[in-house]
Amino acid sequence: MISRSHKRQSKSLSGKGQLSGEDERLLIQRVKAGDQKAFEAIFNHYVSRVYRQAFKFVGNEADAEDVVQEVFLLVYRKANSFLGKSEFSTWLYRLTANAALTKLRQRKKEKEVSLDEYMPKFRKDGHHLVRPVVDWTQDIYKHVAMKEFHQIIQQAMDQLSPMDKAVVVMSDMEEMSNPEISNNLGITVQAVKARLHRARLFLRGRLTNHLGYSPT
Amino acid sequence: MAKKAQVGRVNSKKVDTCKQATSLILDHLTGELDSKTARLFEEHLMICPDCVAFLNSYKETIKFTRSLSYEDIPSEMKKRIRRFLRDNIG
Repeated sequence: MISRSHKRQSKSLSGKGQLSGEDERLLIQRVKAGDQKAFEAIFNHYVSRVYRQAFKFVGNEADAEDVVQEVFLLVYRKANSFLGKSEFSTWLYRLTANAALTKLRQRKKEKEVSLDEYMPKFRKDGHHLVRPVVDWTQDIYKHVAMKEFHQIIQQAMDQLSPMDKAVVVMSDMEEMSNPEISNNLGITVQAVKARLHRARLFLRGRLTNHLGYSPT
Repeated sequence: MAKKAQVGRVNSKKVDTCKQATSLILDHLTGELDSKTARLFEEHLMICPDCVAFLNSYKETIKFTRSLSYEDIPSEMKKRIRRFLRDNIG
């Protein structure tokens, strides 16, 4: 595949131009027939997108590279299992998410932390335990180093369980609906919502704590 | 992939406490609360600055997560992956 002799790919297949739905359908048919030139065109068109999607899950270049390799191997080897019932990009995203989840699950468990410490706490009467709850949303923009807050969020994301992280990535980064996430991950919409809410509370707690306030 | 309108409403719930209000934030943000619960949620916010602050910071956290940006794939990595695929396919 990706033979060096195919350097005269048209611009439209270089990954920078547009690929029409019809072009894509024909390319996938050719990939199914083992056409390596067509596979190269698909690779060129989607590799950047798959890399960014993978990176959001795994959070580092080395693991993202492994995921991209795995995904494109699967595209070539399992092209026949793509029946065209969904968009090719949807099928590709599912392959990417699954490969990334597998990668996350292979990591050592100790990176996961208990989320409870950062959950809101309430008094017996159901009101906030620590009052007043500080609205830090204006404070945060006074900080010069916004990058620092992005690092906190990224570190906190890496401390979530693989499934919780996948839900946050799909919802808050890829802007998928809860039913779409449910479909992609094979869990119920209720489970998506429960995981998403808890993970967001944890991320909020980490940011709040970093700003010097009680996360609860 | 744009966030689609949600279907299926959450059944009416009480919003007497901050704990109850906090548990409804996600459905509030996706517009899934039924009209009665949505009204009770809004009424709670009107009398509870703690929950307003909490909701604001919850929404800001989502904005922060959404604003994380990632570099494009390094060209050297792309070459390595091409080599890997060339060696493993065909």
